[in-house]
Amino acid sequence: MSYKIAVIGDLETVAGFNLAGVQFTHVHTNKEKTLAKLEEFLTHGEIGLILITHRAVEDIGPEFHRRVQEKGLLPLVLKIPDRTGYIPERDELQELIRRTVGVEIQMKTEGK
Amino acid sequence: MAARVTISPNRMELMKVKNRLALAEKGYDLLKEKMDALVMELLNTLKAIQKSKAEATAQLKRGYEALSICMAALGTFETVQAAAETKKELNIDISVRNIMGIEVPTVQVGGIERNALARGYSLHMTSSLLDTAAREMELATKVLIELAELEITAFALAQELEKTKRRVNALEYILIPRLRESVKFIMMRLDEMERENFTRLKRIKAILEKRG
Repeated sequence: MSYKIAVIGDLETVAGFNLAGVQFTHVHTNKEKTLAKLEEFLTHGEIGLILITHRAVEDIGPEFHRRVQEKGLLPLVLKIPDRTGYIPERDELQELIRRTVGVEIQMKTEGK
Repeated sequence: MAARVTISPNRMELMKVKNRLALAEKGYDLLKEKMDALVMELLNTLKAIQKSKAEATAQLKRGYEALSICMAALGTFETVQAAAETKKELNIDISVRNIMGIEVPTVQVGGIERNALARGYSLHMTSSLLDTAAREMELATKVLIELAELEITAFALAQELEKTKRRVNALEYILIPRLRESVKFIMMRLDEMERENFTRLKRIKAILEKRG
């Protein structure tokens, strides 16, 4: 199946992905609008991948995670760093793995 | 301990409980194997993520840098304007694959890198800096799409692993010990009944002998 990509983030990020040919974008300004837009993207049907900046995710807060948990497999949601390269310390995947495997898995960075 | 009260000690019940125990142990072995397989799969995915993430972050950084330079040279408004004019026809193919009953996505993307003419913004109004920015962003999008596939896969695997682990633990620490307890209880009870019967018969024999 063919899908489109959506991006949620600050103006620069959105402009950058626009240049790369991404069709659906939303400039994050306040929580309510972004949440509504996220809802629209999630239920759109044509969108297969949503890229959202870490900052926007933090602004939306727990509602984001709840909403993402509720959705099925599609659309995929990926959090990306924004223009300032901001990535939070707490990695969700790491957290989940620590909970399930019971140990912290540290991947060796090979020749970084 | 509730099991002890509700079970009536007879041979029928013993057979039933033994069957259940065998089934539970079989299920436990299977789940344990599944868990090991999941962990292996997860580790492989994590390794791939590690690589892909570093690449994606670096490429995205390059993209943003090129974009910042472009904005500085052309002006923010002009850049955003050009971005709005860009042809937006990026499509990705997502198909769903099954690993051990878990649905994971496979994303394919083609034709993400375009030449400046195909992008659709007016060339005489913009500079080559915009072209560079657009190209870097296209590359960044490509690696991000790959990363998305891996991350979602890892999440699905980890969630399934959590579920499996819970089941394994439930079997190992609750169901199987409880069933073993029941088996032991019934056997003890049956032995006890047999001994009771034996002494009763001995006693009756003694009484009859005394009488006769």
